[in-house]
Amino acid sequence: MGKKQKKLTPQQQQYQQLEQKHEIPRPVVKNCLKAFFVGGLICLIGQAISYFYIAYFDFTEATAGNPTTATMVFISMLLTGFGVYDRIGQFGGAGSAVPVTGFGNAVISAAIEHRTEGFVLGVGGNMFKLAGSVILFGTFSAFVVALIKTVLIMWGVI
Amino acid sequence: MLQGKQTWVYQNRPMIASTGVSGGPFEANGNLADDFDILHDDLWMGKDSYEKAHRLLFEEAMQTALQKVTLQKDKVEFIIAGDLINQITPSSFAARTMEIPFFGIFGACSTSMEGLALASFIVNYQGANNILTGASSHNAAVEKQFRYPTEYGGQKPPTAQWTVTGAGVALVTANNGDLTKPVITSATIGKVMDMGLSDPFNMGGAMAPAAVDTITAHFKDMQLSPSYYDLIVTGDLGRIGHETAYELLQKNGLKFEKGKFFDCGLAIYKEDQPVQSGGSGAGCSSTVLYGHLINEMKKGTYKKILVVATGALLSPLSFQQKDSIPCIAHAVAIEMSN
Amino acid sequence: MKIYRLALFMLLILMITLSGCNQSEEDQESRLSLIKTTNPKPIKIPNKQNESIAKQVKKDVKKFDEIFDVAVVQGKKDTLVVYKVKHFQRFRMKQIESSVTKELEKKYPDEKFTVSSDYKIFMEALKIKEHMKDPKYSTTKAEKDFEKIIKLKNEQT
Repeated sequence: MGKKQKKLTPQQQQYQQLEQKHEIPRPVVKNCLKAFFVGGLICLIGQAISYFYIAYFDFTEATAGNPTTATMVFISMLLTGFGVYDRIGQFGGAGSAVPVTGFGNAVISAAIEHRTEGFVLGVGGNMFKLAGSVILFGTFSAFVVALIKTVLIMWGVI
Repeated sequence: MLQGKQTWVYQNRPMIASTGVSGGPFEANGNLADDFDILHDDLWMGKDSYEKAHRLLFEEAMQTALQKVTLQKDKVEFIIAGDLINQITPSSFAARTMEIPFFGIFGACSTSMEGLALASFIVNYQGANNILTGASSHNAAVEKQFRYPTEYGGQKPPTAQWTVTGAGVALVTANNGDLTKPVITSATIGKVMDMGLSDPFNMGGAMAPAAVDTITAHFKDMQLSPSYYDLIVTGDLGRIGHETAYELLQKNGLKFEKGKFFDCGLAIYKEDQPVQSGGSGAGCSSTVLYGHLINEMKKGTYKKILVVATGALLSPLSFQQKDSIPCIAHAVAIEMSN
Repeated sequence: MKIYRLALFMLLILMITLSGCNQSEEDQESRLSLIKTTNPKPIKIPNKQNESIAKQVKKDVKKFDEIFDVAVVQGKKDTLVVYKVKHFQRFRMKQIESSVTKELEKKYPDEKFTVSSDYKIFMEALKIKEHMKDPKYSTTKAEKDFEKIIKLKNEQT
């Protein structure tokens, strides 16, 4: 804020102080609690699905991750399509945005939204509008971490 | 006639002959559902895109306004309208359907009063006999352009506002002495104000100074006391902006009771609807004014009102480039002749 | 509200179709091992060559504090050791695995061990034990199933 505040005229600063008084603050603690439980619930469902794949199919703990993720994204797709996920999102905040279901929701909601512009320019071009940066920076940070690890191993640190 | 610095006084007192108001499902569950002429129970409204539904809303509102006074559309000289969508296509496309000469205007959520002020000005000086003016917005179409996809599960902060799905249209005609119709007496055109706020989820806070500036200018130009109006109406300041504006007005020496300060965004929805700080959008002030408030005036609840519609003049590009949100407000005074 | 009900219904259908009708009686116990401690007896798939060390291996592994349930299956050339790690020790899974492997290799230098902490492998090991009760279950069949578990264990994502 500090740098931004400097550019404002005194009149603007004065107004912003007055406005701050009336602003309804985000209920941070309440939101954190809700996020904790919603996120936890989603992970619980994920764990159940993971166990289900271990118990009934030839997946080990190591390999059950992929089908579990796919199932979770599929469920999130259904919920997004039926218009339920945005309500969960308003309630759960980060709790529903951080798990893979939130990623699925970002992709699918954009795809639904731009369906009216056609399949190529609409769905194809806009599907990763929100999720694209997640993919880009996810891949990039994975690359950076791998690079650091490689260097450390070369030096014999680990 | 210009009075003071930025206020027009209409000596010929053009009147609002009729109004047409249409709305969507969220408004149908809201506080003022009875004041809508047409309500849809689905955001798609039988169309294959939200933008087309938006256009339909506006077309229906215009047709309703004409039907109420059984006026043929070729008797209407101009349409003055706008909305929030890129290049105001819903309004222009609806004007294509109506085959009436068209002025497209953009003032974000202040479009309704900008249009009414201009229409009254033209009618006042015999530039036209009948002008349709209005503004519309569609929740999903606007969210798509300004924020995230409709179904995206992002959490909105309590300062956010809900874009109204609806269109409000008024038919402004030359005064024919009918005392049952409200007349437009004056209008104050506001200047663009920027208080350096840049949070697009807190538009009310950004718009409040513009509303205060225009209201102050109006009373100064007209040399009126704040008690002159029965009700001072703001467009879509929402909870935060409305309270901030009230405090600022008190500081500026315009003292009036809090009960006489009314906000369309706060009135349109019920307390339990998940709209955070209230309604917003070009359709907010137009539906509430042309629906609820005009009806109340006809009933005699209010005699003189001052409507101040506020608009946040941002684009998705400007706020992504970290620009602040400049805002504008236009005020129009509406009175009952009897 | 209609939409909620529809979504719930779809989920239900999904669950039912997925959990499906492959409920065979005999696998019930091994599946239960996912959620409770079973403490199975160590087993040796009978063959003539070497003597049974399974019992001793189980005892050795159980000594680890972090481990609460152990299954041992001794095959022809390979011995499978599967264990469950206490919940809050699961962060140290890799360390535990390597110390178990080291300990076993030191004590039984002539044996080849496959060490795992995977629930799935545990379940499968239990399944072999269950099957062994059946007199029709042949040694070759058991050895084949055993090989399959080893293969599953080495499978990567």
